[in-house]
Amino acid sequence: MGADRSPKKKKGGTKDMDDLKKEVPITEHKMSIEEVCRKFNTDIVQGLTNAKAAEYLIRDGPNALTPPPTTPEWVKFCRQLFGGFSILLWTGAILCFLAYAIQAATEDEPAGDNLYLGIVLTAVVVITGCFSYFQEAKSSKIMESFKNMVPQQALVIREGEKVTINAEEVVGGDLIEVKGGDRIPADIRVVSAHGCKVDNSSLTGESEPQSRSPDCTHDNPLETRNVAFFSTNCVEGTARGIVICTGDRTVMGRIATLTSGLETGKTPIAKEIEHFIHIITGVAVFLGVTFFILAIILGYSWLEAVIFLIGIIVANVPEGLLATVTVCLTLTAKRMAKKNCLVKNLEAVETLGSTSTICSDKTGTLTQNRMTVAHMWFDNQIHEADTTEDQSGASFDKSSVTWLSLARVAGLCNRAQFKAGQDSLPILKRDVAGDASESALLKCIELSCGSVRAMRDRNKKVAEIPFNSTNKYQLSVHETEDPNDNRYLLVMKGAPERILDRCTTILVQGKEQPMDEELKEAFQNAYMELGGLGERVLGFCHVLLPEDQYPKGFAFDTEDVNFQTDNLCFVGLMSMIDPPRAAVPDAVIMVTGDHPITAKAIAKGVGIISEGNETVEDIAARLNIPVSQVNPRDAKACVVHGTDLKDLSQDQMDDILRNHTEIVFARTSPQQKLIIVEGCQRLGAIVAVTGDGVNDSPALKKADIGVAMGISGSDVSKQAADMILLDDNFASIVTGVEEGRLIFDNLKKSIAYTLTSNIPEITPFLFFIIVNIPLPLGTITILCIDLGTDMVPAISLAYETAESDIMKRQPRNPARDKLVNERLISIAYGQIGMIQALGGFFAYFVILAENGFLPSRLVGIRLNWDDRSTNDLEDSYGQQWTYEQRKIVEFTCHTAFFVSIVVVQWADVIICKTRRNSVFQQGMRNKILIFGLFEETALAAFLSYCPGMDVALRMYPLKPSWWFCAFPYSFLIFVYDEIRKLLLRRNPGGWVERETYY
Amino acid sequence: MYKGKERKGSSSEWRDAFWNPRTHELLGRTASSWGLILLFYLVFYLFLAGMFVLTMYIMLLTLDDYKPTWQDRLATPGMMIHPKGDQLEITFSVSETESWDRFTQTLNTFLSPYNDSYQVQMNDNCPPDQFFIQEDSGEVRNNPKRSCQFNRSMLEECAGISDRFYGYSRGQPCVLIKLNRVIGMLPGKNGQSPYVTCGAKREDGDKLGPLAYYPPNGTFNLMYYPYYGKKAQVNYTQPLVAVKFLNASVNTDINVECKINSNTLEAGSERDKFAGRVSFKLRINHT
Repeated sequence: MGADRSPKKKKGGTKDMDDLKKEVPITEHKMSIEEVCRKFNTDIVQGLTNAKAAEYLIRDGPNALTPPPTTPEWVKFCRQLFGGFSILLWTGAILCFLAYAIQAATEDEPAGDNLYLGIVLTAVVVITGCFSYFQEAKSSKIMESFKNMVPQQALVIREGEKVTINAEEVVGGDLIEVKGGDRIPADIRVVSAHGCKVDNSSLTGESEPQSRSPDCTHDNPLETRNVAFFSTNCVEGTARGIVICTGDRTVMGRIATLTSGLETGKTPIAKEIEHFIHIITGVAVFLGVTFFILAIILGYSWLEAVIFLIGIIVANVPEGLLATVTVCLTLTAKRMAKKNCLVKNLEAVETLGSTSTICSDKTGTLTQNRMTVAHMWFDNQIHEADTTEDQSGASFDKSSVTWLSLARVAGLCNRAQFKAGQDSLPILKRDVAGDASESALLKCIELSCGSVRAMRDRNKKVAEIPFNSTNKYQLSVHETEDPNDNRYLLVMKGAPERILDRCTTILVQGKEQPMDEELKEAFQNAYMELGGLGERVLGFCHVLLPEDQYPKGFAFDTEDVNFQTDNLCFVGLMSMIDPPRAAVPDAVIMVTGDHPITAKAIAKGVGIISEGNETVEDIAARLNIPVSQVNPRDAKACVVHGTDLKDLSQDQMDDILRNHTEIVFARTSPQQKLIIVEGCQRLGAIVAVTGDGVNDSPALKKADIGVAMGISGSDVSKQAADMILLDDNFASIVTGVEEGRLIFDNLKKSIAYTLTSNIPEITPFLFFIIVNIPLPLGTITILCIDLGTDMVPAISLAYETAESDIMKRQPRNPARDKLVNERLISIAYGQIGMIQALGGFFAYFVILAENGFLPSRLVGIRLNWDDRSTNDLEDSYGQQWTYEQRKIVEFTCHTAFFVSIVVVQWADVIICKTRRNSVFQQGMRNKILIFGLFEETALAAFLSYCPGMDVALRMYPLKPSWWFCAFPYSFLIFVYDEIRKLLLRRNPGGWVERETYY
Repeated sequence: MYKGKERKGSSSEWRDAFWNPRTHELLGRTASSWGLILLFYLVFYLFLAGMFVLTMYIMLLTLDDYKPTWQDRLATPGMMIHPKGDQLEITFSVSETESWDRFTQTLNTFLSPYNDSYQVQMNDNCPPDQFFIQEDSGEVRNNPKRSCQFNRSMLEECAGISDRFYGYSRGQPCVLIKLNRVIGMLPGKNGQSPYVTCGAKREDGDKLGPLAYYPPNGTFNLMYYPYYGKKAQVNYTQPLVAVKFLNASVNTDINVECKINSNTLEAGSERDKFAGRVSFKLRINHT
């Protein structure tokens, strides 16, 4: 086994795939017990010697799964510190320090501006980096709560003595004992077993417990009965076995290792953000370099050119935006967590929204996971039961004698019972102890015939044989209700054909009739019809045992059946279904282990195969021609058998996925699930996979978003998934889709809002350099906007409600529908941003003009203006200004420009609330946004009027009238955008939409 | 369900992105598409420019032609020296004519409007020690306003008349000091004119030596105030005070600070080194 150890480092998916597809390399099940003993140098009675066990432990290592490799914390931190825009800002900071160093070396009293700016920029990068890091760390911490590492114990026999040791210390060759309730500590070859059953659901997805025995029943180690697997549960009975694999070499370990080795791509939102960072960085670098060269050509010194470069970088980078995005995603993640949808990776929040395909099995995800009796067949007629959640559906005749008999059988031959203390709840909402189909029967009988408990009290149970897979029936013997009747009543339910075999008569209209061929055929038809609906059908029969053979007090022996179990009277059929959920998204590929017929029926039921769509087989049946003659292109729906999947080439697979809108994969193994996921991804789909078993883990990991079940899911599947449904409720996925689409829309709005203010930040520098006017907006004020006033309104847009029914929309096409597209840039930079810049410049010119510097005087004034030794600079009125006096006016202009940006951003945040609707349609119900408006205004006022700000940030108090300079522009933004959106709504698909709808 | 992406070579994709010969698209747009969007932006920006011009025009209408709306930043007038030197450093060698030649040149140019002949011709001989107030009567502007004579000869030794090198050739340099013009400023009351005093900064006290001020006491006579702005008072002559360093130490940097003494002007803020005062460095090299 040691040689089969899976290599830890995998290069890519293909190798894993091949590995996974390989047969599990266990051969011990085919060996005799003696051979196994010989292989491990162990003894069937005494077990391993302690010395051997210690030796094996050193050789093979502890019996534990290697945890998936984790990125060290400092690497994560550095990634935050140097990712995104950080590199640009670091460049800016380094340039600042460089400029300061040059100044310090060449001047006696170097101005501290560059040093401060460098420090501020460094602080900005470090603080936003820390912020993102802690946000990430917070969400990953939630995961740790799942690792409830209770040390497992195992009972091993070593040197003939039973000892309990830590499961980690179990080694190959150990003789171990398991009993009902234990978790199996390693892969074991069963040596002896007593009624042992194991639950393999976490490994294979089969939910029925399976019995274990020492005999090899199958060549496939996963199917044979004499191997029990690591981390599965022993449900009942006891077994003794020899450990054949431990730790990562177990079947479970192999899957887990393979899963952690699978490489996953970036999340769609991460790709979008990267794309957007590329655009912004491109613009920043282009502008920076252009103006650096331009500055050199215009005759500025190197130092000045470098300072311009810094300014342009700072103005171009939306410093606060990535933090905003993180906060928005966190808010959505929290909102989803409240709805029991736990997101492990923040970026996965959006992924569900852009998911174009959900690969799901039917169990509990597409359906309500609530078995309900749907149909009954008695009196040679199919009756429909009510399956709706609120019992508003059809009813049937409940007065038939046959129905009463059927209800009695179903009620008595039933081990399920309501949990205590739920009398006040509606019957359908009560919790039941018992398996799904018995619960369904119990509820059905309780609903139509009253208390089942009372019925059971009247008919005391004297003997019972529980359901098992060999008999495929369940029976119980009861006393009758009539105290004068000393006969016993035998009731039985089970697989319909088995039940029918035991019956010689049938109850019709309350009368027992001999079972003739005609009735048998009627039964067959009913059985086929119900089965064809995808329902689970059970047959019911009963018999009153003759008193002479079974007098009162007869000892019924259930082990060695000493009573009559045939010549019974058939009563009826009942069929159950797990009703489909109302809100299953359109693009669902169903991947199920069910039989194709059942799968198709369910798929039709839940709308995966919609009405009117046919499969190739349907067309063949309708036209009465062989399947081979049907043009596969005519069929929109398709049911693929898992075994066929194995033989398909990649092209054929692509063909199936591309040419069918509605696909069902039936009888698929988990490995094939991975192939399906990869096939969809190859075609550019964003794939979500739901699953709970360990076997689903590779598909979960490979999917763009893996969704694991919180209750039924295995640890490995939760580890591999990006999202965990805490309540195992598929409706949460629908919530996830909705939230994901909403956050994508809202991020667009948030980014459009934030990017807009870039233009009024960049243009001052450009005019400063080209026209030689005093600088209208400083780097510190730019940072105040990006990291101060813009933050809360940008975040508040994440709370915006959807403009239309986002669930009716197609999932976005990642190739075309970008988070940041040229239309968003056109609107933000080319249109709204330009109006904003004019607003800012207007305030700037007003202040300078009112202080004596008319616009005509300003052009070309820069050289004298910024000369410290010129202290008698003349304004338009002939007054003379010292350096400090005019600088105060300049900084007042910076403050006014800043305030003007806040004012125009009011309008911007309001227009960004919607992309298509009018604000009047959308309303102003977003309280956070209203708060944001007040907050940014208050912050701006604080920065302007707080004493000491003149020294700290060089911001000065504004005259009240200067606040109103940008009002016309703010108003213009609002009116302009309302008109734009009006045209956009009036002419769907028109020029305005093509050019401006982002 | 899926629209398969067509696989293309990345180089041809790039070329197509620039110029797609099949669809005649330049950078992803056809000619008409480019035309429309450019036309839109042209119209849009013309409209914006119009709006900007309109608001600017309205703003300029609100301004007074003669007096700026706000003067609160000029509460304490700045002071400045002449010659300015290089970054307010007056450094020269007595023996090297070319080292101070530029100072005397600029002083000559600067003082030429102060020539007595010119002043007498252009300006009034006002009564001293009182403000020369020429108010407008209501809406009727009393323009152009007249200005008072400041004759070059009032600077005596520093007038460049008796000593055309302003003392630079003898190591006794003259530095002119002026108070920045501020419209409507009244720098004194009760007939007391503001005056300039100079001193050395910090440890340079003993290096400075005796100073001589012209006009006497270094006053800016009240008759030169208030200033009515360059539009109303075209021929305004800014009063000057000349400081002559009679025996300053040679071959050493002397940090000099001159400040205005007035009973109305506020002391400037600590931050502004040139409000109500002026600092400069003087270095006379002598071998």
